[in-house]
Amino acid sequence: MTVKAINDKKETSVNVRKKEKKLRTKSSRLSLILFVLPAFIFYFIFLLIPMLGAGVYSFTDWNGLNPSYNFVGFDNYIEAFKDDPAFRDSFFFTLKYTIVVFFVQNIVALLLALLIESRVRSKGFFRTIFFMPNMISLIISSFMFSFIFTNVFPELSQKAVFSFLDQSWIGDPDVSFYSIVIVSLWQGIGYMMIIYMAALQGVPKSLTEAAMIDGANIFQRLRQVTLPMIMHAITICSFLTLNGAFKVFDVVYALTQGGPGTSTQVMALNIYQEAFSNNFRFGYANSKAMILFLVVLVITIIQISISKRKEVEA
Amino acid sequence: MKENKAASWSVNIVLTLFAVVSFFPIYMSVVNSFKTQGEIFDSVLALPENFSLDNYIGVFQELNLLSSAWNTLIVTVVGLAGIVFCGSLAGYKLARTSGKLSNFIFLMFVASMLVPFHSIMITLSQMAKGVGAQGSLIGLGFIYIGLGVNMSVFLYHGFVKAIPKELEEAAKIDGCNDFQIFTKIIFPLLKPITATILVLNVLWLWNDFLLPLIMLTDVNNYTLMLSINMLFGQYAADWPKILAALVLTALPVVVFYAFFQKYILEGIADGAIK
Repeated sequence: MTVKAINDKKETSVNVRKKEKKLRTKSSRLSLILFVLPAFIFYFIFLLIPMLGAGVYSFTDWNGLNPSYNFVGFDNYIEAFKDDPAFRDSFFFTLKYTIVVFFVQNIVALLLALLIESRVRSKGFFRTIFFMPNMISLIISSFMFSFIFTNVFPELSQKAVFSFLDQSWIGDPDVSFYSIVIVSLWQGIGYMMIIYMAALQGVPKSLTEAAMIDGANIFQRLRQVTLPMIMHAITICSFLTLNGAFKVFDVVYALTQGGPGTSTQVMALNIYQEAFSNNFRFGYANSKAMILFLVVLVITIIQISISKRKEVEA
Repeated sequence: MKENKAASWSVNIVLTLFAVVSFFPIYMSVVNSFKTQGEIFDSVLALPENFSLDNYIGVFQELNLLSSAWNTLIVTVVGLAGIVFCGSLAGYKLARTSGKLSNFIFLMFVASMLVPFHSIMITLSQMAKGVGAQGSLIGLGFIYIGLGVNMSVFLYHGFVKAIPKELEEAAKIDGCNDFQIFTKIIFPLLKPITATILVLNVLWLWNDFLLPLIMLTDVNNYTLMLSINMLFGQYAADWPKILAALVLTALPVVVFYAFFQKYILEGIADGAIK
């Protein structure tokens, strides 16, 4: 065999390998597409297109029925901020609701988780009791509480100890804010509690015991050992409560319908009514929907960056 | 030691108080669902004179609770099956392929998890009308796949990363094609994360209210939550009947919880940490 022949052979074998590799990447790309396609189709039709559509329509005067529409620039956004007191009020109402729910839900859930984790025999029982409301839908919970607010509390308030329950729980907007909060907390705390309990189980006993031997009291142990160790759970629960609270809808819809008037309207309900039960101003409603999206996005980014910093410190 | 005992008792008392408050609404609803209107008018706190099932029978006859439950079941099963099937296929392949395309698709799925449903519901209702998914139960199930698949892709992706590749390579040598490798080897290994995904989604689909409210127009197609909402308006202040209906509607989930408690609690904890 001559040198040339050997060289030739080498070359062809290199070429073949290259071709094979090309074929393989081609077939792996094909198989990637085939595997992803089912998920992508559903995602594309029911999430991506509506999302992009909402962005585009928010700049138009589309009414949802008429096929034609005009682009109106930022007019919808300006109107939402300047000339729509109901929407503005719904924003501040939702913000207030979010702040209250965020703090109370996390603090109470963490407290319950800490207390329950310290039990031995009654752990399962209490866990079941506190988690049960979470299984019941918000709609059913709200209707149950309608009964509690309009029938049970008035009767209870006749007894001296419970006289503070004598309120107009659904009729008075200042009070019904708390009614909405109560139902949300009652239904939502159990879920966060479960996450906190799982995180607490991951804290090594040796750490808290070592701190105890070093003379740390229960609050020092909590602050210096336990809380830093469950920081990731605090991040997750903060994310879930903030996100969920800003999108609150069911409770308000079932409990007060946003009333009296629009005094307890939340953002999601305002958007819903603008689009589906008022005057079908779809373009305008979409601009409000985009504002909700941006608000949720900004809050999420702020929350995650704060949590990340805390997690690093811990 | 003495101090410890006192502390332990005070913890018990605090927990019991919380538990009583938390259980009180459920207790009140159940007790009053057995009463007559008159008895409720006299006192909501008292126990009913006799535990008659009249309200339950009445509600059951007047409402199509069974058919609503069946409708809800169809939506839930279609949605869950799609979320698991599509999500596991895509999540697995995306985790096993490197490259720009794969990364880009994965990022798209993950980023969309931040989109609030209420921001897209208007355009989604138009889209559903356009593709004929509005008003049909299967169509509603399909929409849930579109809305929920991103999270399941994300969770499957994370889980597959931890599975060694050797198994797949061995199967390839034995002559399995990609799809066989997935169905015969990978999917069975994904069981724990599949359970988590089922838990995280089943209650959402079963209890969801706003999407069915927008999508379903025919009363015969109503899900349980829509029927309950309609009934609340219909029965006005007939509390015994309303409460009986609420208890009946809540019962399946409570039974479900009793059976699958372990999986549900684990699923929530696992889903949160990932």
